[in-house]
Amino acid sequence: MADYLLVQALNGLVIGVIYAVIAAGLTVIFSILRIVNFAHGEVYMMGGYFAYFAIKLLGIPPMGAVLVAMALSLALSVVVERAFLTPLYSPTTERKGDYGILVTFGISIFLRNIALIIFGPYPLRPPSFITGALIAGGFVMTWDRVFDAAAGVLMLIALLWFMHRTSWGEALNAVSQSRESAAICGINDQRFYMLAFGLGGALAGGAGALVGPIYSLSPSMGLIPDTQAFAIVILGGMGSVAGSILAGLLIGVSESMFVALFPDPSRSLTYAQAFSLLVLMVVLLVRPTGFFGRTHTALE
Amino acid sequence: MSGSMTPLIEARNLTMRFGGILAVNALDFAVHPGELVGLIGPNGSGKTTTINMLSGHLTPVGGEIMVRGSAATGRKASDFATIGVGRTFQITQLFSRMTVLENMLVPGLARPRSHKAAVTETARRHLDFLGLAKLEHLQARNLSGGQQKLLELGRALMLEPSILFLDEPFAGVNPFLRDEIIELVQKLHADGRTFVIVDHDIEALQRLVRRMVVMARGRKIADGTVDEVRHDQEVLRAYAGF
Amino acid sequence: MRIPTLIASLVLLALALAFPHLVNAYWLSVSILAIFYAIITASWTLLVGYAGQFSFGHMAFVSLGAYTSGLLVTSFGVPIPLGMLAGIIVCAVVGSGVGYVGLRMRGPYLALFTVAFSEVLRIIFVSETEITGGSGGLEVPPLFHIRSDIPYYYLGLILLAASLGAMVALVSSRWGLFFRAIRENEQAAAAAGVRVIRFRVLAFAIASSFAGLAGGFYAHYVGILTPDIGSVDQMGLVVAMAVIGGAESLVASVIGALVLEVAIEALRSYGEWRLVIFGAALLLVIRFARNGLLPLAWDRLARANPRLRRVFAG
Repeated sequence: MADYLLVQALNGLVIGVIYAVIAAGLTVIFSILRIVNFAHGEVYMMGGYFAYFAIKLLGIPPMGAVLVAMALSLALSVVVERAFLTPLYSPTTERKGDYGILVTFGISIFLRNIALIIFGPYPLRPPSFITGALIAGGFVMTWDRVFDAAAGVLMLIALLWFMHRTSWGEALNAVSQSRESAAICGINDQRFYMLAFGLGGALAGGAGALVGPIYSLSPSMGLIPDTQAFAIVILGGMGSVAGSILAGLLIGVSESMFVALFPDPSRSLTYAQAFSLLVLMVVLLVRPTGFFGRTHTALE
Repeated sequence: MSGSMTPLIEARNLTMRFGGILAVNALDFAVHPGELVGLIGPNGSGKTTTINMLSGHLTPVGGEIMVRGSAATGRKASDFATIGVGRTFQITQLFSRMTVLENMLVPGLARPRSHKAAVTETARRHLDFLGLAKLEHLQARNLSGGQQKLLELGRALMLEPSILFLDEPFAGVNPFLRDEIIELVQKLHADGRTFVIVDHDIEALQRLVRRMVVMARGRKIADGTVDEVRHDQEVLRAYAGF
Repeated sequence: MRIPTLIASLVLLALALAFPHLVNAYWLSVSILAIFYAIITASWTLLVGYAGQFSFGHMAFVSLGAYTSGLLVTSFGVPIPLGMLAGIIVCAVVGSGVGYVGLRMRGPYLALFTVAFSEVLRIIFVSETEITGGSGGLEVPPLFHIRSDIPYYYLGLILLAASLGAMVALVSSRWGLFFRAIRENEQAAAAAGVRVIRFRVLAFAIASSFAGLAGGFYAHYVGILTPDIGSVDQMGLVVAMAVIGGAESLVASVIGALVLEVAIEALRSYGEWRLVIFGAALLLVIRFARNGLLPLAWDRLARANPRLRRVFAG
């Protein structure tokens, strides 16, 4: 039992890294555009399919396909942002909060339905990044999971480096602190909204490409990670990238433990999905500045 | 104004804290029927926090609030409104996508045992008084900034308030509108209404009020006639220090 | 009511009453489902468009009403009308609960909370197979034991007319004024003496009850219930109906629901593309005609012919 729990905990840590990547993307979007992006999970889903078809149709090796998926997700996000989110920056738009909710919800519905047609309802499984498993004593973990964790950590490090060590990242940070003062300093808002939404989308798409070989792909795969990511973002203190990463790991591990310890194994998998939803509800209720919070920012 | 009357509103030892900051520190403050009080102080001195507590929009961490002699501490903002505490906001808060008349009807109809015909008539009377009568079918968001300020005042009047708190009525207001607001408040005061007016515009307040209360760093540092307050050493220090 | 309005209303009424005898069984069943969606869409509009409480959990209440009635009837032999009534009551109670715990949230947070609530409920219905039959579905006895759908149509029409009438009366009453005041500005509403907590909870309770009513009717019409009825995709359909019609007007959103449901069936040959088309339509309407197509059309018409303004204003 102890071994089993350890394996579960490590699996949870791997998934936690993936959640952290998704949530970090959501955080970047939230902190710059001030919207809760209901379509984030669908970009994650599209990322998974982008990688799949990059491998199947273009013959790109699986690891390279992750980068292709990130690039395509970035492009998709920029198109979405240009087409639908620009009213958020216009002073003449009324009730921007409502607009943000409705339009991103609409985009999520649209992407899910179009994925259903193009990719079909049946689960697709891209090939492994590395076949086989890491075996050490009684401990077994597939190399895919090991790779996912490593690649996820790499993405997070790259994000933190970008946000804190490059001029673009610093400018993004400035916009997230205050739109007005950033504009006064001559930072061109519009380009940074585009950058932030694209960056967030690239992270989601990358995460989708990573989980493909573990979970397989389906048009509705984005729904649950999306809510998980929201729970993580809020738990991590709205807008703190480092907070999201830690909260992601925490939720990954606790979710695995929940599955491992759930009394009725036949239901543990369906209720595992409910776990993150319940976490989200509780987090919303006790309402956070999170544990690494910047103070919570009102969204209206 | 005799001291033996029950105050309309009274704060005892009122205290508010945000995080580690003591925004209002053990404030004692009473307003009697028929008074017209100015509440001034430098930025961050706790004036708006005080109004927010006295109208139920913030729950104090310590102290008591009495409205006409009965305890009101901890009650909701809507309760304060129904027992006759009206207010306006620093940044005008209207129901922007509702008509001018509808804005006026909300407080009227929220009063228990109100009748629509009577409330509508009162609303029209107030709109007439404020010079907004012709605009009653416009949406509030289509009014000018000044008209919006007047409408907010009108909406507070619909509560038939026994006391009215005005939070910075002169901020960002042109001189003509300022004079108009002063005149309206004077008329309403002559009709027996009680006001507490928070503002930075000391010149405007001097034309209007007899009693002035000064706050600094969450404390009341002076309370008296306009002349008394103007020559108070602590007040001069507080303003010079900021 | 002026004469042209009166005549138009009478013609519409006659058409609605004669409708089952003018169409075949297939279109009759489509129109019954359209009525079902119209009740849901109107009540979502009441909650979101009027009271400003952004909920994506409305279909959860439809499924709650449906399963409550279905389970009471199948497991305890409760008469169907009582089962449906129980569904409404359960939805009112749970709806007040959701409204109450959601009090501290607004905007996107409330939307997230209600999505999560909705999915949790759906997962429970999927997982508790011994009770609900899970994804395989729950068989529910029909309301009428005859082979024609005509009685369902008339019952649905009565329920829709009664619901819509009640909601229109509600939004034109002082409660409706308070709902809109809360939507516009909660702080100002409180300062105006509106009991914000009471009316926010009430808005949830009332809208959820109508959802529960629609759910009960649906359960005993289709005869088989699956947890999918409460899915986010179903919610998306209702959002599309309300927003495309006009989510700030009860009548516009009802027309949106009726037209969209019929369009979905009429475009059957397009298969799955239909949902993409509606998704795209939803996005375009949100982007370019935020108040919906009908208010836009009314506006244009009224501008072209000022005499029409009075008709539409009513």
